[in-house]
Formats: sequence, structure tokens, C-alpha cells
Amino acid sequence: MTGPILPRRGPASRAAPLAGLAVLALAFVWHVSVGARPIPPGIVAEALLAFDADVLDHVVIVDLRLPRALCAVLVGAALSVAGALMQGVTRNPLAEPGLLGLLIGASFAVVLFVGVLGIAPPAMIPLVAALGATGAAAAVWGIAAAAPGGATPLTLILAGAAITAFLGALVTVATLLDERSFEELRVWLTGSLAGGRLDQALWALPWLVAGLAVALGAARQVTALAMGDETAIGLGMDVGRLKARLLFAVVALTASAVAIAGPMGFVGLVVPHAVRLFAGQDYRRVVPWSALAGAAYLLVVDIAARMVLAPVEISTGLVTALLGAPIFVWLVRARL
Amino acid sequence: MSAGVISRLDGPVTFLLPMRAVIALALLAGLVAGLLIVSLMAGSYPLGVREVLSTLAGAPPSDMAGTVVWQFRFPRALAALCAGALLALSGAVLQTVTRNPLADPSLVGVSQGAGLAVVAAIIAVPDLPTALRPLLAFAGALAVAGLIQGIAARRAGGATMRFILTGIGVAAFLGAATSALLTYGQLDRAMAALGWLAGSVHAAGWGDVAVLGLALALLAPALVAAARPMAALRLGPEMAAGLGLRVGRVRAWLITLAVALAAAAVAMVGPLGFVGLVAPHMASRLARCGIGLHLALSGAVGAGLVGLADLAGRSLFAPVQIPAGLFTAIVGVPILVWLILRRPAGGQP
Repeated sequence: MTGPILPRRGPASRAAPLAGLAVLALAFVWHVSVGARPIPPGIVAEALLAFDADVLDHVVIVDLRLPRALCAVLVGAALSVAGALMQGVTRNPLAEPGLLGLLIGASFAVVLFVGVLGIAPPAMIPLVAALGATGAAAAVWGIAAAAPGGATPLTLILAGAAITAFLGALVTVATLLDERSFEELRVWLTGSLAGGRLDQALWALPWLVAGLAVALGAARQVTALAMGDETAIGLGMDVGRLKARLLFAVVALTASAVAIAGPMGFVGLVVPHAVRLFAGQDYRRVVPWSALAGAAYLLVVDIAARMVLAPVEISTGLVTALLGAPIFVWLVRARL
Repeated sequence: MSAGVISRLDGPVTFLLPMRAVIALALLAGLVAGLLIVSLMAGSYPLGVREVLSTLAGAPPSDMAGTVVWQFRFPRALAALCAGALLALSGAVLQTVTRNPLADPSLVGVSQGAGLAVVAAIIAVPDLPTALRPLLAFAGALAVAGLIQGIAARRAGGATMRFILTGIGVAAFLGAATSALLTYGQLDRAMAALGWLAGSVHAAGWGDVAVLGLALALLAPALVAAARPMAALRLGPEMAAGLGLRVGRVRAWLITLAVALAAAAVAMVGPLGFVGLVAPHMASRLARCGIGLHLALSGAVGAGLVGLADLAGRSLFAPVQIPAGLFTAIVGVPILVWLILRRPAGGQP
């Protein structure tokens, strides 16, 4: 394991992370500056660096736009890394938190607790979402593994579609039965950053950081795991424990993303595949790049969601699906 | 196996009839009729059997009973039964033609294509006559079916698997597009479209029943004509070609027929999920028989399923109405899971 699996790139690989960060910063400033009241990027930078409570633009930026942009960064990074890990562990190019039912599982659990049982301390929501995501993941994996032929891409996606349809119907029934307490949840259920729920994000942040840390720490082993369980065992890895750790990372990342912004499909599919085009197959590069690219991707998608039909705003989760579904279809065609 | 096949032997014409299937069909017809009566009785203004029967016979015990039955419950129940039968027939044809046990108009995006076309029309032209909706739905659904076939079937090998996966992707895209249209459209119009999208018959009137009945009446003869080529296709494309069938052309026609069946139902009651998946499988569990009786059984099962789902949806949580599509999804998913577990789903990768 001492030698790199893929040849390291030359000096370019040192400059690339800086370029990536610069792109992310640009997307961030762009995201903050567009809106119902366009604010020039210069003032955005000014508000971030030297905040003045008397200037209206500064207040708009810090109180309204900044939370939303931060949420987009967190959710985009979390979902992309979760998707990358799932693709590596299951060796399935189509694995993604949304397609394998984790998002709907987390949403269902949150709806059950907040809407039906009426328990809604923000500290609990990431935990509840994590429980739901774990349950749904277990169900999908169980169905796919028990099917003849085992957990192939097809059985996994079908089981995910089945669980999604089932829990989705239950969620809709719940929202119909009690329209008032679901007023706020309904927007959240389509995957929306509109609330800018920074308080929620603060409670989800520890989970997110823990998930990212585990993902980055295990990235080297994921590369080996992606070549097959036998390879990983042959390299002296404890595959069972590694998988448990990665499952924790995936669930923590997915749950924190759902707690902040609701279910956003296809982010975890699109970003890692795009990243692999330039970063290769080595997860030591794929994981950090996915976090970076995912954050930038969701910022840009959210700009589109706000601007395309302005003044009407489309739910961000719908835009990620509109962009991601064609890529899913293309992957099915190209890879299977 | 040979339902309805007249075999000319030496003696008089003999007619082979699978008794079990015929009995099952008769029982199902009785059940559906019973379901119809029960759904005419149930509701916030409950009626007895005798009252319902006399109302249907033209002598309502009270004006109220006449209004409730003729204006509200009867068209609604009939719409549910017709839509269920149409969707089930569509699923049965699709499953036979693609030789894929998971083919279902709502799973592979055909229903969603019809839905998107209709929602776009409702939002763009709000006072569109409802009779035009089936045509729009048909156009949308046909475009989607063509797209999926085009994407999935270009490369040899594993086509059935790609067909389903492609369909799932296309369905996700169309669902998101429809939801985006709903947020864009003005809210009151969007609400009309939203109730319809969940797959609900709660607003069905005689106009809807007329359209659904017309679709059923027009497409049933086509199904009868299609029974023979479908029986050949059931044996596999090579065998069908050996029997003198132009497989490509027949398949295209049959898929168009299935799309038309689904589109008619979706246009009137919205994309009711899983009926087309579940009904044919339940039918073949009831009795193994030739394609003609299989279609009839599937239609009857579908009608019963949607009728039951609608009845449950409006009475379980009354006064809240749960769209029938949600119940069909909750019933349909366990059966989908069973199908995934039972066989190498959708053929070999």
C-alpha cells in the first residue's frame, strides 16, 4: 500500500486544490449576490469582511443570503461525499443516497416525529433522520441481497424505488391527514434551501463534520474496497469494520443534509461521477474533490432554482432531479 | 393453456375452456359488482342496500338519495373501476410485449409522461375541455415510451434491465418537471392539478366516466385483435418470428396500444401507481390461462383494486379524502418487492 495506486500528477495537482477553492469562493459570492435585489459582488465582499449593521445590503446579505449559501455548501458537500462512498463500497456506479432510499427514509422519520408525534427539538432531528436513513438503507440492502443474483445495480435501484414509493405514499397520506402541521414541512419535503435553517444546520454540523472526517480518514481503504472485498482483505484490511465505519459516515452525512434541506436527489450521483472524470479513481482525491465540487454544484443549482423562473422560486430538490435524472439515464446506458 | 382456441379435430368442433380461469373471472365480476354496491352505500350519507338498488332502478326513496347516488357516488365508482381496468390492461400488455415482469406504466414513466402533458395543458390553457385531455396524455405518454425504447434498446444484450432503469430515471425527471410546473403555475390552477397528480377519482363526474368508457370500448376490440400476436410473443421473439410474426412492427403496435390504455386512464384520474404492475400478477396467480382470459382477469382485478382503493381512501379517514393512488402504492410496493425477490428481476444483466 505504500506506492500510490494511480500515478501522482506533477505540480498541477498542487495548484488544482487552490483552483477548486477559488471556484467555490466565486460560486459562493455569486450565490450571495443574486436575488430579488441584486447586490454587486464588491458589496458582498465588503459585508463579509467589514460588516456594518446600518447598511441595508449588509443586513440582507448576513441575515438572509449567507445562511442559505452556507446551507447549500454543507448539503452539497455532505450528499456528494455520501454518494462517492456508496459508489465505492457497493461497487455500483448508480449508488446514491436518493436512489437507494436513504433520503426518503430520513424524511419519513422526520415527518413521523415532527408532524405526527409532534416532537420537534432541532437537536433531535439529525438523530431521527439518521435512524430513518439507516432503516431504509437496511431494507433496501436486505431486499437486494435476498434477491436471486444478489445486490446488483438493478436490484438495488429497484428495491430503492420500491421503498421510495412506499414511504413516499405514507408521507403524502400523513401530510393530507393533517394539513396544518405540515405547512412548513411540505416545502422542506421537496428539498429546499429556502428556509435558510441555520439553527438546524448548527445541530446537524457535528454529524456532518464527523461523517466527513470518517470519510476522509477511510478514503485510502475505500480505493482498495472499490476493487473488491478480496483485494481489500488481501491488503490486510478488516473489511467488516471498515464497512461499518463507512456506513456510519454515509448515514451521518445523509441525515445532516436531510435535516438541513430535506431530500435532494441525484446530487450524490452527479458530483462524484463528474469528479472522477478529472480526479481519477483514487478515493484520496475523489472524496475531498467531491466535497468541494458538491458544494459548488449545489450553490450553482440553487442560483438556477432562484433565477430561472424569477420571481417564482423552484424547489432546489426539483432542479437537482431535473439535472441528475438525465445523467442517471446516461450512466445506465454507458455503464451497464 | 389454450383458452378460446377452437381446435378443429375430426369430429365436431371442440372448445377448450380452462374452467378455473372462467370461474375466477365470474367470481371477480361478482366481487366487483358487490364492491360497486358497497361504494354506493358508503359515505357521509349512508344508504342501505335496498335503497341503493331502488335508486338504481329509477325509484329513489328520497331526492337526497337520488342526488347522492346518481350525481356523486355512481360516476365516481364507475370512473375508479374503468381506470383500474384500463391501467391493468396496459400493464398486462406491456409485461407480455417486453417480457418483463416489472413493466408497469407508472414505474417506467409512461404515466408520468401523460401526467406532464396534461399538467402543462391545464396550466397553459386552464379552460381546456376535459375530452381533449386523453389525446394530450396519449401524445405525452407515447413520446416517453418511444424515448425509453430508443435509449434502452439501442445496444444488444441486457435490454430489459436497461429498459426498467432508464424508465426509473425518466420517471424521476418527469416527476420533477411536473412539480416544477406546479410551483410555476398559479396556485389555484396548480391545486387542481395537484389533486389530480396523486391519482384521485374524487372529482369524477359523468363526463369522465364517458371518456373512460369510450376509451375502454374503443380499445377493447384492438385488444381482442392483438390477442393472437401476443400469445405468440409470449413464447419469445424468436419463436414468434418463427410463427410468422413481424416481431418489430407488432411490438411497436402493442406498445402503442398499452400506452393508449394507460394514457386514457391517467388523463382522467391521474397517474395511479402500481395497478398495471400488480393486477396482471394477481391474475396469473388466480389462474394460468391463455392471453385472452388473462387480459380479462387482469382487467377485472385492476377494476377491483382501484375501486377498493378509492373506497378505502374516502372512508378510512373521513372526512379527509386520501387519493386512491396512495393506497395502490402501499398495496403495490410489497408485491413489487416480492417480484424482486422471486426471480432474477428483468432478465440477465
